[in-house]
Amino acid sequence: MAGPLSGTATRRPAAGPEAKPPRPARAVPAGARRLGGLLALLARRALLLAVLLAAVFAAVELLPGDAANATSERGESAADLARRRELLGLDRPVAGRFADWMTGLPSGDLGTSARGESVADLLSRPFPNTLLLGGLALLVTLAVSVALGCWAALKPGGGVDRAVSATATGVLALPEFVVAVALVLVFALWTGWLPAVTLTDADGSPASWQMLVLPVLALAIPQIGWNTRIVRAALADEAKAPHVETAVIDGLPRHRVFTHHLLPGALPTIAAGIATSTGMLLGGAVVVETIFNYPGIGSVLAGAVTDRDSPVIAGVVAVTGAVITGVLLLADLVRARASGGRT
Amino acid sequence: MNRRQVLLAGGATVTTALLAACSGTGGTSTDSAGADAKPRKGGTLRVGALGRAGAITRDPHGTQANESDYLVISLVHDTLTAPGAKDNTAPRLATGWKASDDLKTWRFTLAEGATFHDGTPVTAEDVVWSLRRLRATPSGPSRLPGIKAAGIKAEGDRTVVLVSDYANAELPLLLRLTTFVLPKGTKDKDIAKAPGTGPFKLDWFRSGNARLVRNGDWHGGEVLLDAVEVKIFESPQAMSNALLAGQIDVASNVGAVAARTAEKREDIQIVRRPDDMAMPIVMRTESGPFADPKVREALKLAVDREAMVEQVLSGYGKVGNDILGTGDPAYAKDIPQRERDLARARKLLKEAGFDTSTTYKLLTTEDISGLAESATLFATQVREAGVRIEVVKQESATFWDKTWLKGDLYTTYWGTNDSVVFLASKTMVSDSAQNEAAWDNAEFDAAYRKVTATKDAAARAEALGDLQRIEHDASGYLLWGVADGIDLAAAPVRGLPTLPGYGRVQLERAWLAR
Repeated sequence: MAGPLSGTATRRPAAGPEAKPPRPARAVPAGARRLGGLLALLARRALLLAVLLAAVFAAVELLPGDAANATSERGESAADLARRRELLGLDRPVAGRFADWMTGLPSGDLGTSARGESVADLLSRPFPNTLLLGGLALLVTLAVSVALGCWAALKPGGGVDRAVSATATGVLALPEFVVAVALVLVFALWTGWLPAVTLTDADGSPASWQMLVLPVLALAIPQIGWNTRIVRAALADEAKAPHVETAVIDGLPRHRVFTHHLLPGALPTIAAGIATSTGMLLGGAVVVETIFNYPGIGSVLAGAVTDRDSPVIAGVVAVTGAVITGVLLLADLVRARASGGRT
Repeated sequence: MNRRQVLLAGGATVTTALLAACSGTGGTSTDSAGADAKPRKGGTLRVGALGRAGAITRDPHGTQANESDYLVISLVHDTLTAPGAKDNTAPRLATGWKASDDLKTWRFTLAEGATFHDGTPVTAEDVVWSLRRLRATPSGPSRLPGIKAAGIKAEGDRTVVLVSDYANAELPLLLRLTTFVLPKGTKDKDIAKAPGTGPFKLDWFRSGNARLVRNGDWHGGEVLLDAVEVKIFESPQAMSNALLAGQIDVASNVGAVAARTAEKREDIQIVRRPDDMAMPIVMRTESGPFADPKVREALKLAVDREAMVEQVLSGYGKVGNDILGTGDPAYAKDIPQRERDLARARKLLKEAGFDTSTTYKLLTTEDISGLAESATLFATQVREAGVRIEVVKQESATFWDKTWLKGDLYTTYWGTNDSVVFLASKTMVSDSAQNEAAWDNAEFDAAYRKVTATKDAAARAEALGDLQRIEHDASGYLLWGVADGIDLAAAPVRGLPTLPGYGRVQLERAWLAR
């Protein structure tokens, strides 16, 4: 069920090539050039998303059964099924259905679900909820992993460093659902400090902020493990850089070396690490949302795959793909700026 | 984990959902502590129900895969008849019905003074319009079998006439689950907001969650709760956690696994609704290794039914006797229970010349909790009679597409277990659309026709007995047991439904002792 999402997550390596530190380009109007590059990058990303969406339609087509079958009742005759198939347009070739669906996409029309609901409506509440959950988890991940990574890097090989690194590795290996189940058990069922599941109010968003705490932690904890190691490693690499050594020899205060020389140098790597976490966070959200009954797109996606509901699956992939693309782009800009500014 | 899939299980399963049953009067729970207490008015009941955001349907005449959607729809809208306890068909919007002598023309009388939530009276025209709308959906022909749109007519303000193509003594029973009534002429885009006639009015609905408030003018009697809040849950696990943490008051249809967890908690009630889910093993009768009736009987004798109920259902269920429809008031309790007899099973296999050197495949899914486990345990048990069976688990949609109705040996499940005739008509009459075992038995068909065409109660009961005897002896179904439906409830909740299947939605008599 996490297929399409982990699919997007595996696009991570694609961020590599175009994210190389740009060559210094002082002689040409840098602004225009940068804008052109940005547009080309956007176009490439959009194309990639379109290919991904085509793959979604093709993959659903390859699964046994179809939406007409999956949304019918036991006992519908072959003729009724054929009628349902026609209603859903499933009697047409998949390429045609995909083309139709794609033409609606630019205007925000995500098609109609196999059960006759508008896909845009189906996603209109769950998607912002997932963004909120993922966004908070990303912030927590960023804050905690940078803090821990820096703390560990202050004294390489020291007690703190070893403890943080070991914990980070251990946590990194924990799947989200293990973390989630443990959190529910301890903080909801045993102590009763926090709600066990997320319930929604009349506008479709979580009924209270406390309900967000456990899902955010369940998502963030494994990512914190991953990113702390990245931050720690990036700082260690940077510490060996000549300009940092020079700064140390020059006798600059330690905190100044840290904030003005060490951290800026490590920033591109840290940004890339965080950006790759976005895909993993959205993938993990599917699992975490189920455990906490969080009203996000995970539940929509899971149901849609069972229903062979291509428009819904593609709708979920399109919106998450757009978000991941956006975050990767942002990370590239951060990297470009950070490394560009150093020349 | 798997229970939720019952909702969406591939090809179809909705029916399982869609065809389960039983009723208000007499079918409610009484907690020992509060059994004598006088029902109290007021309070909001928070009910968790299974469903998936991607499968939300608002249309009462659509295919509701989500139990949560069905719960909301059935509290807001009334069906003509409803599942019942003493008699499996109870009155709802129709308070009475009468058949012509040939059992083809049925007249339903609507409840006096019944109004929609906006105050307009319900007329026969509204009912006719609603039934025709239902008939026009892709599932219409299976929901109103034998009735054409032209056969649905109003007679005055309060009588609806249904004309069936054939004699059908069971027609009122078939109207229990999906005959929701809406105001005549409601446009498709307004369906979700259309006023109902049910015990609760819709306050709001958002992403599968809803709040319903009491309909003080309900034609069916006084409603005690101020409001019902329906919360959609994708997994029974999360729903159970929510109940244990006090975030909801009722976890509807949460399953045996949750019940086991809750057994230790004194502040949680476990509500068992017997005859909820049948999980028979289907043996193809028309061809293949199980076509010989002796082989089928041998397998029926080789299974250890008590052990199946104990291990597969954690004891939350009862032993079956190879007759579907165990919850039917007319279920033949006088037919001797088939017991395990390995010696006889071996003898029958030998007589039939059954090839015991081959390994046979038993196909199953994880659509509902316990289904795949039942297959595995069955395979182990029949091994003792010399039959080698390998269990093959299929992904739900694959199963419904490739195996169902076609395989030699597979598991199936049915959620409507309060009518012997209903299941016979759906799955065992030779020309039924879902003849899972491809059974063709002239004697059985004759008994079935007699049941549906006999008006006299005594003669009908006799024919029903014959039908069940033939089914018990020869059909392709091995029904080892039937699972209870299980709801969990917080201590103050009273008056919860105890009927199986769709009876679980009848919350109009529930109240809170706090």
